[in-house]
Amino acid sequence: MSKGVKAVMAGALALSLAACGTNNNSATGGNDNKGAANGSKATNQEKITITFQNIYPDPTDPKHGAVKKIVEQYEAEHSNIKIELDSLNTDQQKLKLKTQAASKEVPDITVVNPSAQMKPFVEAGLFAPLNDMVEQNGLKATFQEGILDWYSFDNNLYALPDGNNIGVVYYNKELFEQGGVKVPATFEEMIEVVKTLKSKGITPIAIGEKDTWTGSFLFMNVLLRTNGGPGFLQDVQDGKKTFEDQAFVDAVDSFQDLVQAGAFQEGATSFDYNAGENLFKTGKSAMYYMGSWATGGIETSSVNGKVGVFKFPTVKGKGNPNEFMLAPGSGFAISANSKHLQETKDFLNYFMLNFPKVMFEAKGAIGIAQKVEGDFKAQGYSEMAMEILDLFKEVQGGDLSFDNTMNPGTSQAHLTSIQDLFGQKRDSKEIGKDHQTAYTSNKE
Amino acid sequence: MNVLRVSKWTIAAFVLPCLLLYFCLVFVPILVSFYSGLLDWNGIGESKFVGLANFQKLLFEDAVFWPSVKRTLMFAVFSMAEIPVALFVAILLSRFVKKPNFLVSSYFLPVILSVVIIGQLWKTIYNPASMGGMLNQVLETIGLGDWTRAWLTDPNVAMYALYFVALWQYLGYHTLIQFTGIQNIPSDIYEAARIDGAEGLKADWHITLPMNIPIFKISIVLSFIGSLQAFDMIMVMTGGGPAHATDVISTHMYNMSFLSMKYGYGSAIAAFLVVLCLAATLLVNLVFNRLERKFT
Repeated sequence: MSKGVKAVMAGALALSLAACGTNNNSATGGNDNKGAANGSKATNQEKITITFQNIYPDPTDPKHGAVKKIVEQYEAEHSNIKIELDSLNTDQQKLKLKTQAASKEVPDITVVNPSAQMKPFVEAGLFAPLNDMVEQNGLKATFQEGILDWYSFDNNLYALPDGNNIGVVYYNKELFEQGGVKVPATFEEMIEVVKTLKSKGITPIAIGEKDTWTGSFLFMNVLLRTNGGPGFLQDVQDGKKTFEDQAFVDAVDSFQDLVQAGAFQEGATSFDYNAGENLFKTGKSAMYYMGSWATGGIETSSVNGKVGVFKFPTVKGKGNPNEFMLAPGSGFAISANSKHLQETKDFLNYFMLNFPKVMFEAKGAIGIAQKVEGDFKAQGYSEMAMEILDLFKEVQGGDLSFDNTMNPGTSQAHLTSIQDLFGQKRDSKEIGKDHQTAYTSNKE
Repeated sequence: MNVLRVSKWTIAAFVLPCLLLYFCLVFVPILVSFYSGLLDWNGIGESKFVGLANFQKLLFEDAVFWPSVKRTLMFAVFSMAEIPVALFVAILLSRFVKKPNFLVSSYFLPVILSVVIIGQLWKTIYNPASMGGMLNQVLETIGLGDWTRAWLTDPNVAMYALYFVALWQYLGYHTLIQFTGIQNIPSDIYEAARIDGAEGLKADWHITLPMNIPIFKISIVLSFIGSLQAFDMIMVMTGGGPAHATDVISTHMYNMSFLSMKYGYGSAIAAFLVVLCLAATLLVNLVFNRLERKFT
């Protein structure tokens, strides 16, 4: 026998031995682990995988870390359960979910927006009611008063929110000083502030209007004031008002005044959400109107420490500054067709119970939907964050964004219509009429 | 077929797998999409059969649709008008440049860049001068301050700004195709022409152009179909805005299907787009068959 053949034989023998070895090891090792984790429970539990679709792909987002941490904890405590994270950008997730929904293949846990935006999914019977689950372990009591209503239909709860935010105006104190202006108490003053800042070469307000909802969010706050209180869109849906009413036309007028005063950066409609926010975060604009969820991002930016917040002022003497644009956050829903419905519910229950604590420690507890215990100041939250917390205490109700209230068809028409105002001045009555036409033609 | 010495059945058997795949992945979805176009459906819940109501609304009532069709066709016209330019560049390259490969590759570079990168790049170039937009700054520096525009946000110029980016991106692509075509023309024809006294651009006029017609056709079809489907670049740069000013058929379809959640209506637009593409391909083929017969 030649040397070569011998060598090959020896090699093959070694390989087969090694293979046996690993097999044995892994088998016993696996049994040991199971025994340790489950104690006296049945050792033959099947492996369960739960898909958790979420919108926190950004590692700088405290929520990204929180999800990872809680999932790891849970997996350590339940060795038979594996949580598979499917982290996507908001827009991608929306699109993916719609495609999945069309073929009835919704992931075990997914993310939806409140009220009107989740309604089609609920009506199609895609989500499991969570009424029983939210009562377990006292989860319901951790949520803020009334917040769950935005996710309930016909007395059934279908999603648990990750946030609850309000629309505020962030301003750069340094730039305000440079421009020699003060925080405006009325909308009219705000327009003067805009003009003064503009004349000194400072961009007054940053906005990412390529993503049309940003302008709409601001516009709706104007409407909340000119209407003298919340509920305009609800009244339209109830047939009590139309978009051609004075309150709406006034809101369009005032909004156009703001645009025409040069409030927003040039080319605003080509800036997407991030690009718009970056203008403010890099100190290139004096004000930024956004939901309080932007706080975390501003804190980690270069303008941290120079930023204050104020409430959106009264318009033409109307409205109550303590009424805010409300933004109940996106909610976690469970697929009605989930193969492991009970396990998924158990996990989400655990997840939501731990969420506030983990978020608090990650300094991301501003604007979450649950009650948070702990001393924010001692934990090292910034002054701006404390200001926002104080604003939360003064909230006396308000409105939801347009696309969370109206059906998607009307919403799209509205969003484009408002975006149009950034490019050209239009007759406000005509805008009202366009809205009304869009509303009637999209009514179910 | 007889020259192949195999039966038609054998040919069919070998073609079948691909044909089946093609049928399932292309024709079935198109048919399904046509059918969805007859539904009143939000893409998630119950659907209702409404016959041709979607098409009726699309063709006669939708204020966004026809302008977007016009912009799509303009897009096609501009990209086809680019092909002669690409051919001219290719002729110059093959005639006057000793080692043209480096230049051809350089021109080709934008094609392999991701559309998102191209979009972001040009968005920055088009920005207002105060935001560091290069184009406007250059215009101001050379004393053409009057020419500065908000290129992507002025409804009157935004679409042309987008056409230009697409033309810029694909010039290298078509130059490469034409260049390859020219390289394949046998050099003895040119030599014969030289004996007959035709040299330089004259030889190109009488030899390169007619010999290159099939390649020219490929470029035309590619650019035509490509521009009918233009979507990604527009989505990245303007998202169809401001206020529909840069909406083309495909972005309108996307808005309707996925944002307004009118899946049925969006499918009707898709069906229209399919028909338009088929008609366009037929037309281009017809024109070129005539041309080829005339010149070859």
